[in-house]
Amino acid sequence: MGKNLAVKAARAARDMTQKQLADAVGVSRQTINAIEQGEYNPTIRLCRSICRALGKTLDELFWEDEENEEIKS
Amino acid sequence: MKKSNLDEMQELALLKIARNGCWFAFWGLLAAMGIQMLLGFPGKAILGEWIIFMALGVYLVAACLHQGIWDRRLKANSKTNLAVSAVAGVAMSIFFAVLFRGSALEPLNYLLICVIPGLAVFILCFAALTICSVLYKKRREKLDRE
Repeated sequence: MGKNLAVKAARAARDMTQKQLADAVGVSRQTINAIEQGEYNPTIRLCRSICRALGKTLDELFWEDEENEEIKS
Repeated sequence: MKKSNLDEMQELALLKIARNGCWFAFWGLLAAMGIQMLLGFPGKAILGEWIIFMALGVYLVAACLHQGIWDRRLKANSKTNLAVSAVAGVAMSIFFAVLFRGSALEPLNYLLICVIPGLAVFILCFAALTICSVLYKKRREKLDRE
């Protein structure tokens, strides 16, 4: 799993820290960091919460090209 | 019900911790019983560990079968069951060889004392695995039909 730069960029665009995003969606800062580093695959429920908090769609934040998925798996 | 203090990633981390603890307990109990037997402890002294170990083993098997789970890598077929049973039988023979080392037994008797338990474990293990394989396949069919 590669880094999730889309989440990081969207968070930065809103001038939010990881802690603020974590509080907004009800998880720990560790979890947000792990998602951005590509170390953790969030559930669809958490993905949706993050999308709502950042005003983005699922595709914009969590879409991954098939090529990248195949290489990583 | 009170909301959990943990988020989803922390829940997964806690599940991993519990899983590692379970396997540590499983192998630890087996090792403890083996060491006590080698040190000549009477059967009664090992009874407590044996009960917990068996209860843990039965729970793990029953829970996995109920979920239609066999193993991450091994298949539920006769060939694999034979191989696993053979490993268990050989391990038991080795254990008895160590347990009775240095005893004043004739070589033939010593050999029989090592081989017979190993053979018994092999047969019992294979029988148990075969029965569990049948139960697993039936459960899998039922779950796939639902």
